[in-house]
This record gives sequence, C-alpha cells and structure tokens, in this order.
Amino acid sequence: MEATEKPTGAAVTEGLKLCQLGQEVSVPAGARIVNQGEDPEFFYVIQSGRVRVFRETVDRIQTNLTELNAGAYFGEVALVTGQPRSASVEALEDATLIKVSKEEFDRLLDQNPQLARHIIQQLASWLVAGDQRLETEVVHQVKLRQLSWFDYVLMLGLSLVLSLVVNIYNDNRIPLIHGWGDKNLIPEIALNQAEEMYQKKQAIFVDARKSAFFSQQHIKDATNLPVILFDLMYPMFQFMVEQEGKDKTLVVYGGTFSRRMDIDLARMLKHKGVKNVVVLKDYAAWPKVFPLQEKKAGAPGSLPLGFAGFLEWLPLSIFLFMLIPRIRRSPYLSVFCRVLLAAIFISFALSKIMRPAVFALNVVDYNLTPAWGVNLWSLALPWGELVVGLFLLLGIRTRAAATLIAAMNVIFIVGLVNAILHNMPINCGCVGEVGEPVNWWKVMKNTGMLIMCIQIFLYDRFMVLDRGGFILRDRKI
Amino acid sequence: MKKNSLKVTAVLGLIMVGLVLGGCGESRSQFAGTYKSVEPFAGKDYVALDLQEDGKGTWVLAGKTVEFTWMVNDGKIFIYTKPGAILVVTPTEGGNMLSADMTGDWHPGCPPGSCVAFKRVKDGG
Repeated sequence: MEATEKPTGAAVTEGLKLCQLGQEVSVPAGARIVNQGEDPEFFYVIQSGRVRVFRETVDRIQTNLTELNAGAYFGEVALVTGQPRSASVEALEDATLIKVSKEEFDRLLDQNPQLARHIIQQLASWLVAGDQRLETEVVHQVKLRQLSWFDYVLMLGLSLVLSLVVNIYNDNRIPLIHGWGDKNLIPEIALNQAEEMYQKKQAIFVDARKSAFFSQQHIKDATNLPVILFDLMYPMFQFMVEQEGKDKTLVVYGGTFSRRMDIDLARMLKHKGVKNVVVLKDYAAWPKVFPLQEKKAGAPGSLPLGFAGFLEWLPLSIFLFMLIPRIRRSPYLSVFCRVLLAAIFISFALSKIMRPAVFALNVVDYNLTPAWGVNLWSLALPWGELVVGLFLLLGIRTRAAATLIAAMNVIFIVGLVNAILHNMPINCGCVGEVGEPVNWWKVMKNTGMLIMCIQIFLYDRFMVLDRGGFILRDRKI
Repeated sequence: MKKNSLKVTAVLGLIMVGLVLGGCGESRSQFAGTYKSVEPFAGKDYVALDLQEDGKGTWVLAGKTVEFTWMVNDGKIFIYTKPGAILVVTPTEGGNMLSADMTGDWHPGCPPGSCVAFKRVKDGG
C-alpha cells in the first residue's frame, strides 16, 4: 500500500509551500501515474482530480486498495523504504499533481517534522490494519478447508434422491421396505412342536437358504428350495411334495435375522395354493435341536472380475507409499488415490445399480442388516458409491467425500471379517453379479482403500474445488 | 487454464464412457435360440429354454413359464430372474450345448446334482 486518503493529509500538505517544490503535472483520466514494481523517483500530491491505488498480479487480477482526492498524497512509502513501488496508481479523472523528486522529498521531511510524523503514523496504522486483515483471511481460509454438514447433506441427499427416482423407473425395481404392508398370514411353529413332527415324520422340512448355506449345514433330510430360484424350481418341488405325501405340513426354516428367506418362501408357497405351510419360530435355534447334515464349506465359486479386479489390487500399493514420508504427504499421491478410489467405486456401483434385487440378496447373506433396512441399503449404497466417487474424481468437496468412502470401507471391513470368522459360504457381492471370494485379501484391499481416504483427507490440495473455490495446486496464505 | 480444463474434461468423459460401455456385455446373437434339457430335470420333466436376441427369455418346466432377462459376459450366459437369482450358464460346442448351474451361487462350473445340460434345438430368438 502506498497511499490512502488521510483526513489530516490535506491539512499537512496545505501547510507546505509546495509551489516552491517540484513541478505541476496534468494527467488525463485513465493514465497510469505509478507502476507497481518500478523503482521510486517521485512523491506526488494531488492538486485536483481523483486517482485509484491498486495492486495487480501476473494474471492481471487487480485489487483496489483506495481512491484519493485533492489534498491527498502518494508515492511516499517506496521513497521511505527504498523498495520498488508496492502498488500502481491510475487517474480516474483528469488530475493535476505536484511531482516532488526524491531529493526534494528528503529535504521536505528534514524540514517538516509534522509531515514526517504523519507519514510514520500512517505507515504504522497500515501495518496494524494489514495484520488484522491477514488474520481474518487466514481464519477464513482455514474455515474453507473445514468440513461442512452441507457437504454430507449434498452427497447423501443426492444419492438418496437418485436411488429413489431411478428405482421408480427401473424394470427391476424393488420395494423400499421388503414385505411392508404384507399381512403375515404364515403361522409360526415352536421348536418343540416342530421337533415332535420331525420325529413322527409328519412334516417336510424346507430350507429356504441359498444352496451353499444348505450344503454347509442343514436339518437332516430337509429339502432345499432357495427362495431366489423359487420360480424355476417350484414345479420340481411340487413333484417331490406329491411323492412325499400331500398331507404333510411344510415347515420352512432359514438362517438370517432379516427372515428374508424363510418368510418369503412360505409366502410364495401360500401364494401357489399350498395350505399347510408354517415357519419355524426361532430362526437361529434349529442347529441346536435337530439332527444335522454337515459338509465343510469350500470356497464359493467366483468369476474373474476383469478390469475391476485389476483395479482392486492397486489400493495395496498405498502400504508402500506410506513408508516414504515425502510421498505419503504428497498432494499428487492424493490425486492418485482419488482417481483410483473413484474408478473402483464408480465401476462397482454401475454394476449394481440396475439390479438392486441381486444386491439385496447379497446384503441378506451378510446377516447384519434388519429386514426393514435391506432394500433401503441395497438401493442407496450403490448410488452413494457413484455420487461420492464422482465427487472424488472431479475434485469437489474431496475431504467430505473421503470420509464417506472411509465410512463405507469400515462397514465393508466389518461385514467381511464377520463373514470370514463365521465361515459364511458367501460371495462378496461388491461387483454386481460377479462372485468374488470373501477372504483376508479382500479385507486388506478394503483397508488399503481406507488408508487412501485418510491420505486424501489430510493432504489433498491439488485441483480441488472446496468451499473457498477452485485450488489448482495449493491455497497460499 | 481453459485448455487444461478441456483436457481434464475430455479424459474424465473417456473414463466414464469406458466404464459405461464396459458394463454393457457382449453380443447375444451367437447364443440366441431355443434349447431343451438333455435329461428330464430331477428325473421328472424336460426344461425348455428360449433365449431371445433382445435379452428376454423364458424357462418352461411342467407347463409353468418363467420369464427372465439374459446377457453374455466373458463368454458366459447370465440369466437374471425377477426375484434376483442369477444362473451362470456355460456354453460349449460353439453354443450348441449349455450347462446351467442351478445353485444360484454364481459358480463358474456346474456342480454335480445342480447342473442342467441343454441342447440347442432351434437357432435365433
């Protein structure tokens, strides 16, 4: 800053015999009087007219500092400090100035302690004002990097709205809450009653779970009718029931606390006109009561993931990057993490979005979601992956996006570890209909993604659009 | 700055197009046609499988028809039913024979006892 309008400045300059000093110059409107960066040669006092003081960056972005009228002066800072001009001055209208050379200015200061004191007071007040402005700006910039609830509401809200709207128009749509409004007309049977019927061979026990669960463990002599294959397999089941005895009660059992399999199957059988259908009351207690047929669960079959499978291994590289301090703090590593996570989450989401029913059955397999939450989760999660992935890819609100991806990864890791520890014969269900094995490698991959999210949260500042606007490399304060 | 933005937009666009196209599957024409199970399903009745070129299909067993959609991915046929089941069907002999995995667990093979073999009886869909 070189100059400002000073209420007392006019009075100070009035007291000087300026006509005996310097020379009078006329400046037309729009003319540049002082250029930022130049070596200083003159001090100016405005006789008439108005000037603008401003700074300009190399990108030609101008910041107006002040406007000065008749009686004010400028150009003194560079003369006092001996530094190049710190701002430019341009005439806003035709102006008349007194131009005082450096030597004359020095003599003027020597002979006028009042002017010297005034200049010192001005410089000191600018310094204090500058410090205050810098502090305000720092606080503002820090706040811009902080997380905002708005970011989460934006991303989660967008995911929820898109999932609900697309579900309405999707040929494979699913109800928001499975079985909502259905009257549960299926009677339940207590364990001891069912056991008695089993011993007297008065009932056919029907296992509604997927065949892998059935193969692993089932009630001895039970029949498997996976609810997902009901349409295809029901005619065969009918043949079997006719052979076994039409009058026998069908006792349907399952194994998930969402009761998705057993109650669904009983409803379907009822819908087909089968009258004597009951559901086993305690869904998890049958292994303790009935004789079992068991087989050691092998790894479920899986199909190659293709390009998505290749992508999924890359997060393991983060463990190496974390060992090198310079790299682990690099904003360029953040960009790598962002693009990789975005590619993984977007491609995985696209493989699930159009067939929510398939994904819902995977969610049921993990046995961690209550009945009312299965479909909501199955609809919203893929859209969440897609929306948050796009925010990461485009560099928009990346810190908030990284925390959401991290939260998803924590949930996935809990689900995977639970499935491994309980020896569940399930596929991951992470990529549409491709069955990936659930194993510790999968846990490691998700852990790698979690670390990537933390890296983005801490160090991402390259090509980012945050609350303060677009940052190409870094926001210097 | 403007040029850089254009480049970034172009790259992002290509990535998105790649991802979308990658999820579209392969041509169905090679496998469209009518198939019949080689043996009666569970020793009871034959299954008629009709795969139409538009991605729709039917499974007929004991007079009951079930509609589904299907697609080809990585040389395998994926049959999607309304309740969310997926049957992975492996074509052999140039698509004249199909083996359907009835476990519904996305096994790439066909475990004994849960496998239905089909033979093509009519081309096209």
